[in-house]
Parts: sequence; C-alpha cells; structure tokens
Amino acid sequence: MMADPAWRDPSGRPAELPGDLSSQEEEEEEADAEASDLSSCSSASSDTDLEPEWLDSVQRNGELFYLELSEDEEESLLPETQTVNHVNHVRFSEKEVIIEEDDPRERKKYEPKLKRFTKILKSKRLLPKRNHKKNSNDSGPVSILKHRSNQKTGLTVQQRYKDVMVYINPKKLTVIKAREPLKLLEVLVGIIHQTKWSWRRSGKQADGERLVVHGLLPGGSAMKSGQVLVGDVLVAVNDVEVTSENIERVLSCIPGPMQVKLTFENAYAVKKETAQPKKKKTQACTNDLVKLLCGLEADGVQQSALDVPHITMYLTLQIHSEAAREEEILYHYPVSEASQKLKSVRGIFLTLCDMLESVTGTQVTSSSLHLNGKQIHVAYLKESDKLLLIGLPAEEVPLPQLRNMIEDAAQTLKFMYGSLDSAFCQVENAPRLDHFFSLFFKRALQPDKFYVSASPSAQQYDAASAVLLDNLPGVRWLALPQELKVELDTALSDLEAADFAELSEDYYDMRRLYTILGSSLFYKGYLVCSHLPKDDVVEIAAYCRQYCLLPLAAKQRIGQLIIWREVFPRYHLQPPTGSDTEVFQEPEGRYFLLIVGLRHYMLCVLLEAGGCASKAIGTPGPDCIYVDQVKATLHQLEGIDSRIEEQLATPLGPCLSCADWFLAVPREKADGLTTSPILSRLQGPSKTATSPTCRRTFFSDYSFKARKPSPSRSSGGCEPGERGEGVGLSPHTTPDAVRKQRESDGSDDNVALLKLTRKKSTLPNPFHLGNLKKELSENDLEVYNMVKLTSGPENTLFHYVALETMQGIFITPTHEEVAQLGGSIHSQLIKNFHQCCLSIRAIFQQTLKEEKKKALSGGGDSESANSLSSLTPVKEHGVLFECSPENWTDQKKAPPVMCYWVVGRLFLHPKPQELYVCFHDSVSEIAIEMAFKLFFGLTL
Amino acid sequence: MGDEGPGSTVHLLCLAASSGVPLFCRSSSGGAPSRPQLPFSVIGSLNGVHMFGQNLDVQLNSARTEDTTVVWKSFHDSITLIVLSNEEGTSELRLERMLHMVFAAMVLIVGLEELTNIRNVERLKKELRASYCLIDSFLGHSELSGDLTQCVDCVIPPEGALMQETLSGFAEATGTAFVSLLVSGRVVAATEGWWRLGMPEAVLIPWLVGSLPPQAARDYPVYLPHGSPTVPHRLLTLTLLRGLELCLLCGPRPPLSQLDPQLLDRWWQPLLEPLRACLPLGPRALPDGFPLHSDILGLLLLHLELRRCLFTVEPSKDKEPSPEQRRRLLRNFYTLVASTHFPPEPGPAEKEDAVHPAQTPRACYLVLGPGTGWQLVALQLGLRLLLLMLSPQSPTHGLRSLATHTLQALTPLL
Repeated sequence: MMADPAWRDPSGRPAELPGDLSSQEEEEEEADAEASDLSSCSSASSDTDLEPEWLDSVQRNGELFYLELSEDEEESLLPETQTVNHVNHVRFSEKEVIIEEDDPRERKKYEPKLKRFTKILKSKRLLPKRNHKKNSNDSGPVSILKHRSNQKTGLTVQQRYKDVMVYINPKKLTVIKAREPLKLLEVLVGIIHQTKWSWRRSGKQADGERLVVHGLLPGGSAMKSGQVLVGDVLVAVNDVEVTSENIERVLSCIPGPMQVKLTFENAYAVKKETAQPKKKKTQACTNDLVKLLCGLEADGVQQSALDVPHITMYLTLQIHSEAAREEEILYHYPVSEASQKLKSVRGIFLTLCDMLESVTGTQVTSSSLHLNGKQIHVAYLKESDKLLLIGLPAEEVPLPQLRNMIEDAAQTLKFMYGSLDSAFCQVENAPRLDHFFSLFFKRALQPDKFYVSASPSAQQYDAASAVLLDNLPGVRWLALPQELKVELDTALSDLEAADFAELSEDYYDMRRLYTILGSSLFYKGYLVCSHLPKDDVVEIAAYCRQYCLLPLAAKQRIGQLIIWREVFPRYHLQPPTGSDTEVFQEPEGRYFLLIVGLRHYMLCVLLEAGGCASKAIGTPGPDCIYVDQVKATLHQLEGIDSRIEEQLATPLGPCLSCADWFLAVPREKADGLTTSPILSRLQGPSKTATSPTCRRTFFSDYSFKARKPSPSRSSGGCEPGERGEGVGLSPHTTPDAVRKQRESDGSDDNVALLKLTRKKSTLPNPFHLGNLKKELSENDLEVYNMVKLTSGPENTLFHYVALETMQGIFITPTHEEVAQLGGSIHSQLIKNFHQCCLSIRAIFQQTLKEEKKKALSGGGDSESANSLSSLTPVKEHGVLFECSPENWTDQKKAPPVMCYWVVGRLFLHPKPQELYVCFHDSVSEIAIEMAFKLFFGLTL
Repeated sequence: MGDEGPGSTVHLLCLAASSGVPLFCRSSSGGAPSRPQLPFSVIGSLNGVHMFGQNLDVQLNSARTEDTTVVWKSFHDSITLIVLSNEEGTSELRLERMLHMVFAAMVLIVGLEELTNIRNVERLKKELRASYCLIDSFLGHSELSGDLTQCVDCVIPPEGALMQETLSGFAEATGTAFVSLLVSGRVVAATEGWWRLGMPEAVLIPWLVGSLPPQAARDYPVYLPHGSPTVPHRLLTLTLLRGLELCLLCGPRPPLSQLDPQLLDRWWQPLLEPLRACLPLGPRALPDGFPLHSDILGLLLLHLELRRCLFTVEPSKDKEPSPEQRRRLLRNFYTLVASTHFPPEPGPAEKEDAVHPAQTPRACYLVLGPGTGWQLVALQLGLRLLLLMLSPQSPTHGLRSLATHTLQALTPLL
C-alpha cells in the first residue's frame, strides 16, 4: 500500500532537476497568518532560518496546538491541483495545518521573547541541527521521475509481479569505499530506498520494512535494465525474500559479478488492484479526522450529528431574579434544533437537582426522558452551585457509559482549566469548549467514523471497544521485552534529567524555566513507557483521548505535532495533607504539558514551573529548547519503532483464538485457500501443518462439542481472499521469514522460538496449539504456558481486557493481533464482549462505590451485615452467550452454534483490578487463575 | 443503608394528572407500611417537573440520585403515579413494573371508568382506600415474586392430577369457567379458563386474596384491568382450610348462597389429605422430598410463555442467610438479569423458530464479594428461565451444570 503520491498525480508533478537537491536540505516552510485554511499552500522559504515553524501558531494564552502531517497524509488533504506549485521539490514538501484561533496582532507581545531566545542560541550554535529535514542529499540525485513517466505511457496492463535480471558486480564496492557500509542496494543495484525517516514517514508502518524503490541511481544496473520503476517493491533477490532488514546481508552474499534475478511487486498494478479503492475511502475519513482535530467542521459529519438530540449545558443554581433572560445558562452546546428542546426543559434539570438533593440527601446523577420517541439519558454533575449536564440518546450511549463519559469530560476539563468554573465561566474559552464538545459528541455518536485505523478490521475493533475502553481509568499499555524497555527508559530518563547544555543553570547564569516532572511515551496510541505518577498519566491520556490524538497517531504518521498548554494535574495540586515537614510538599508551582508527536510516536512531558525552576509569569508559550529536546529524544527512538511494531504484532500477552475457528462450517472456499501459493509456501516449512485426519474431521460434520481435536481449521466467515491478501502483502510476517531472521540474528533462542510459536498460533493457518508442544524443548514449556491463558488442550481465549488501577494501565489485544484473527463472527463477538463488559463494569463500579463509602464510614460491621440483601459487593460476574453464523441459508440444517463466556472479575485488594475475559465454553475456566496469569509481571 | 433500617423507604404518590390533586400517598419503611413522610411541597414539585415536561412534549421517565430512584408514569392522561425508592438494589425495571401493578390494582378495585373520567375527586379518594391494602403489599417485601416477574406464583401439589380433576368437576358443577385453588396467594390448581386470564389480573387476583384479612367466604366485586376494565365481575372465595381458598370468578350467577357447605364437602372431602399436604407448600412451592442439590439456597423458575413461576427460598433453611435476605437477593438478581442481559420482555411472540440473533445470552452468574460469597446463577433454556441462589462452597465453574441439571429436573413440573 505504499502509495507514491506522484503516481496518483502524474500530471501535477513534472520532472525534477537533479541540481535542486542541495537547496532542499534545510527547507523550512512557514505558514502565513492565513494558513488556517487547510488548502492554502505556503511558500517555501529556502533559507536556513532556525525559527521553528510552529512559532506562529502559538496563541495569546501561550497554548499551542500545531499539527503537521506527513507527506502522504498531507497529499490526501489537498486538492490535486495545488501540488503543481511544488515544481522544484524532489520530495513532496510538507504543508502545514495550522490552527489559528487568535488574532495574529495580539501575539506580537510575547513573540519577541521567544525569538530572542532562539537567536541567542543560534549564535552560540547550540540549537540542535534540525537534521531530519535533510534526507536525500547523501543518496545522489533521484530525479528519475521523467524516466518513469515515459515508461508509464506505454504500459496498459501490468503483471503484479515482475522479474528483472540485472548484472551485479560486487567489485564496485572496493571502488567506493568511502560510503557508509549499508548501502549495497544503492551501490550494487542502483536502487535508492530511503530508510531514513522522511521516506518512512510516507509509507505505512505495516509495510515499513518493504523495499520500495524510491529512486534509481543514474547509470546503475537497475536503471539500465529499464524495467524498474519508482514505486515498485523489491520482494526477492534470486527468489530469496528480502526486506529492508535483510537486503544488505543478502546482497553481501553475492560472491562475484553475476546476473541476479530481482522480483518486484508492480507498483502500478498493486495500486490499481488494492490500494486505490481502499485509499479513497480511508482518505475521506482521514480528512474528517484531521479537520475535526483542527476545529474545522466536516460538514457532512456535523449535519448528521445534528439530527440526534444531544446537549451539554453548564447551569448555575443561583438565579438572580432581576437578571437578564437565560442567565442561568453559563454555557451550552450545540445550538441546533434537536437540542433546543433539551435546552428548553432545563427547568426540569434544575428542579430535580435541587429538590432531589434536599429530599434524599444525595446528589442527582442522571435522569431519563422521552423526546420525539427517543429515550434520552441526561447525566448530572454538580459542583458547588453549578451543574454540568450532558444528554445523549440511550440508543447510542447506554447510561453507565454516559455516567463515565461525563466524569471523564469533567476530569479532563479540570485538568485543562483547573476547575469547571474557570473552564466555563470565561468567555474566551467558549470556542475552545465548543471544539472540545464537538469532538466529544462525535466520538459518542459516530464512533465508527472516528476511529479511522489502518485496516477496516482495526477500525471496527476500535469502534467496538470504545464503549468500554474509552472510559477505563487507565491507559492502553503495550508490554515490551526487557531490553527494549530499558532502551526506552534510558531515552526518557536522559530527557528528564535535563542536563543538556542549554538547560544548564551555570552556563547561562539563569534559572531554568521548567523542571521536567516526567514523561510518557505513546506509540500508535499505546503507552509504551511512562515515568509519570499514575494520576498524571491517566489524566494526560484522557486529554489525548478527548482530542483524538491517540487514534491520530495510530492511523497517520504525524509529521510534527506540538501541543503546549498549562494544565492542572490533580495529583500535584491537591492541598497539602498536613503540616508534617517530613512529608514531601508539592511546590506551589504551575504545570505545563508538552506533547510532541512524530510519526507514530507521541511523547508527553509534564513540566513544572516554580519549585526548583523559575516562576512562570503570565502565559508562557512553548520554549524551543524543550520542544527540540523532546523532538531529539523522539529522533533517537527512530530505530526502535520496528521493534515496537513487532511487539504490536506479537505482543507478550496471551495467545488468542478466532471465534470463527470454533464454528466448524464446511466450506468449499477452504479449498481455494490451500491452493493459494502463498499459503502453501507458508505451510511448507512448518511441520505442524494439519494432518490429513484432522482435515477430514473438519470437512466431515464436525461437532465442536467433541472436545478432543482442535477446531483449529480456520473456516467460517473469514474471506479467503482477504486473508490471502493480508499474507501476501506482508511477506515478512510469515513464520519462516521470522525464523530466518531470528536464526541469522543469532539472538536468544528462547525468545525466537516463543515468537515463532506465537506467530503461528495467531496466523489463520490451522495450528493446534497442543502440537506445538512437541516442537518446543522442555525448557520452553514454561514460557509457553505463560502465553496460553486458558486451561485445557486447546487455546479457547478469544479476547481480554485487564485493568490495573494501581499503575493506571490496562492491557488488551493489539489491533494487529485482532486483525490477524479476522473473522466476521469474531468481530461481532468482540463488539458484544465490550458491550457486555460495560454492564458488568457498571455492577463493579457500584461495588467500588460501596467499598469507598464503607471505608469512609470507618468500615462498621453493622453496615456490612445490613447490606446482605443487596447485590453488592460483587466480585465475579459472567454471562454465557450463544452465537451462530449470520445469514444462515441452509433451511434443513440448524446453524452451528458456539457458546462463549464473558466473565468479569473484580479484585479489591490491594488496589482495584478488573479483568474481563472472553473464552469458549468447552473448558471450564477459573477466572481467578486466569487473572493471576495475566496480571503476573504486569509492571510499567 | 440497611434493608431493615429506617433509611430504606419507598414512597408512592398518586395524583390526578389534570388538577394535580394528590389522590393518595403510600409509604413503606423497611418493608412495612409507614406514615407518609413527604411534605406537600415535594409532592408538588415532583408532579410539577413531570407536568412541565409534558407540556413541552418531553416525557420525564426517571431520575436517579446516588441512592434513590424516582420513576414517573402517567396512565390514560388522568392518573400520574410517582414512586421514589431508596431501597438497596432498586432499579427502574422494578419500579416501573410496580407502578403498572399499582395502577392495575386501582382499576381492579374502582374500575377504569372512575379513573379516566374523574368527576368527584373526593369520592374517588374514598373509593381508592379499598385498594390500599393491595397497594401496600407491592411496596413492602412480599413473599411472592409476581409483581416483579409478572408471572403467576404457583406451587406444585403432591397429587396434582387428582386435584385438577376435582377442580374441573367443581367448576362444571357451579357453572363457572374461572376457578382456582390458592394457598397463601399462590395457585395450587386452576381451571383452563382461569389460566387464560390476562396478565395483570392473573397475578393480581391471587395477590388480592392473599392480602385480604381471612374470612370464611367473600363476594367481592372486581374489575379485570385487562379483560374487563369497566364492567365488574364477582370474585367468590371460600376457605376450605385455613390458608387454603377456593376462588371463583363469575358474573351475576351463581349466588354465594348456592355454594353451601354441602356442595363443598361433596367435592373436597375426599381430598382432605392432599389438601392438608398443600398447606405448608406456600413458601416451599415444591413438594416434600423433591431432590434438590444441597447447595441450593433459593430458586426462581419462570415459564415465559405460560407466565407462571415457582419461587422458594426454603431449601437448606437452617443455613445463612435468612429467607428474607435470600428472597431479596433473588429478586434483585432477577431484576439485574432481566434489565441487562436477558431481553426484559421475551413474550410469546419470540418463538424458537424466529430469526436467530447473532449473540444470544444463555446464562449468567454472579459471585458476591468477600464475606458472603453467595453465588447466583441464571439459565435460560427454551421458554424456561431458572435462577438459583447457591451457597459459597459450590464451585463457580460448576454453576452452569448444576443449573442445567436442576432445570431438567424441574421441567416436568412447570
């Protein structure tokens, strides 16, 4: 799916001149003040000015929300004609999306300060070189676009794969010694593949390892052959599969001058077949997401949302009779006809709030009403004499979710503004709140439009799981192996230590501006490393979620994202508990949140002004030094993303099974599956391929109730075409590739084997987990057991969510894992699982509330004795579901039925933990054992 | 808040929708009727918010505070019922069904005509007094489950066939189709006709008989909320043994005098022993010696199409918790199951051969927290829904098979 934008827009991008390159290396693009318009293209100022491009977007109050997308995302945002402007750019220049909410004139006040500082540093050559901007100067001229377009005109039909014979002379190497060692592809074959990040930004992460031809070296063998085109993907060399990881090794094995067969995946054909229709669709969504983030309304989306009655209001309970009309409404959103009605009955809400509190002694939490035949839930949150209300239709948002949502929103608003009052009562905040709530309602009402992910399955997964995961008091966490963790920890610690020269207090003889309290690193929306207290990281994650930054990072490679704002973290701002001097007292400082996003990474840094650092005065904007240091840290992590990616594909968590495998439906389509060349290749090397007997049981009328043979034969609703494509497009994920890679790496055998088995078990290929045991040596068995969560001979686990409130994290299968499983029934199951978990969680929350109350009242025995007749406290709750394939057409036979459990378990001590699992009914599971396995070793 | 403590209160308000005049106000505290405590201003504003919404085409249904639930419901645009409850584990489903039962009870006593067309509020108030007894039984902790499950509470008599035969013969002899034998509000046996009674009255009439003070014989006019809400019928009750009553629902004939002791003796004297055996059946529901697993502490079996249920908390009576607690736990569990997992109104329309929903809940269980450890399990098979309460020593992973076995054993009974 590597989409070379030039291919989509051949006319708009004429040939490039090789000589232009040098001037591009420090290219800076600045948006003019009017750049808030998405499609406005700024002119490129080619000088080496070091002033950061985001400086102009800093708002009057010091806040910054600056988002710049990577090239291919940008491309999709712009009308095609616009690209004509960039004639002399070899790489597709970055256009900026700038959010302009303030009058530029008013910014002038503080601008000089920032600029001045930058200049001091520049003169001392202290600002780090913005080295990411130069990327192509060391790889020679790449302007073969003309070459390619000539070729293209002659092409009408293209094969998907093509073989090209080229002559390779390794002796050339000795001639060019001076070059870096890892450039064999370029030197020998004449193919330029940019692994440097500029190019990698433009590819999707999943095929980041694919060897896309980005350019051809003039006079190189590839160019001479005339058959290699820019955008082609090098798949194999002499039938050996290659990726960017092993290409250099493979090429280095060529002993002497010889003819080599290169197999390419045809760029044009690929795009025609697969990429384009899909691309169109996701682009549309992408646009919406970005526009939403930037506060520009995507009209269609907004329009459909308007029809559904929904509202948020902030009311005051103190009404002065002589005041003007509607004076009790401090804020409301949206202004639409459907919401007008809800606004007009605010008297109900005010009366209920006041009266019920006086009658019952407890605060009103929610009410339900019928409006135009629709049931609407309204959630209340009362603070002193103000009342926050959110109303949403019951159809879309069940009541327990709404309760969680209002608390979440209030928490985030407090994090951003300090208190609800300061958020709502200041007039200048109104547009920001409008933006906040427009995102809020869109997430609630159109989840599927919002969670735009790489693949439809991941998108589905996101939309299905949002109902539960969005409001968990935790952050989605990805467990990483030790060595990777250490690397990340080191990088973050280096940043947090803040002993870089620019910040040295002695050096400039001035107090440093901020102390770095800690930082959290997100990758594709997963928390991978955090050095912040639990409360902080939860609040920061909630902020990111409300502003949809996490899905953004997951889907799109962010060119550059910089967010800066003052925040009010609860953890640091709570009033001192006592006058005990021994206890650490939080300084009376101010706190700032800096989020820098780069490609799939997002690094959130919490800064403290006051305390050790100098006091913050006024509303300071982001400081270049800190931004650049955070950016530098992210650059430092560039190399690691492929390894994190690997973890995403095969995380350390337990193996999963696909529900469709258990619905043994005989299908003719399965035959088509086995004939797929890729699949047969897949099955070739693996000894564990299904035995003939097993296959027979599958094709015969196989009942899953007979527990012995694994229903591992993949069948069911998963379309073979889809699966074949998935495998075919990412050849490097095949087990033998992994194995090859591992063996050549000579890394730890245990880990390699483990990964290998995990890989297999998650492939749609039928692998009986039990068989795997034979492959593993005794030593590996222990590790293997950890990975399988369920008991019994086969792996019956479908899905899980584990929440650990002590550290504020939760784990759940990754998008990649779920996508690997595929299956139509499985996706329904996941949806149902999350909905069921929501209601289970509502019961647990009740229990937690009771516990809290009990703890507050001193844990009297009399109370616990009295509450015996109510259904609290609950510690475990399970629901058995039965499902059968949809659209069952066979009238004679009853559809096959599969039963699965959704079980939730609550642990109160030492800190609340919640576990939700979904597994097949065939084996009776003991939830507490599963929980132990899952929570074991779950540490940040 | 303890369930027996003063904190657990239910307030029921009934107002004339048009004028806002309170018709009655019943309260119960800790399961027993108590004096109304709500000041008039509160009653006024509770009704006011609902009316205000109605004027703007917004129907206010319910509101919740941290411990209290309020449900509004207006019937035929003339009667507004409001219930306010802070009982533990109270839910909207329970309160909504309670309001429906209360309104049905009002119709049963005074007829729909009086309620929809209020001419004299004072007279209506007076007439409604007769229904207080029945209404209070809905507010308190009843031994029955019909108000919640909307199924008729039954017991399984030891010699059912014989009793059924006698009952049919007796019905024929008296010329009424609607005859039933009740023991403390539960149906022991009933004629075909009786079982065909519509929903609210099928539950309400046994409930009414159970709530009235004991009398040898009654002739009581009732309106049938579903079958005949405007034309009253006669409910005749004859006490056979103390707590065991014969009910007839009939028109002007036969007069009570016709049902003289001789007639009764002729029919029921031969069955004296089985009838005596029925007496303790009330709370037990199941005949003596019915094999139940020793872990079972309580049982609620519903037949969703016949709309009959068995409800007992008698097994292993000596163990903790008390029957009252067991009953409330099971009721709360039913509420939870019906409102969250199983479709609340399966109804007869949803047959086996209907379209298969992709994901259907079949069973669920709940393990209560530390200190108690009681387990509750619900299982739906076909048209039957079984809820069990089990002692802590029962293994959690075996709950489903235990429930399945129990349900299979109970299937021939209901």
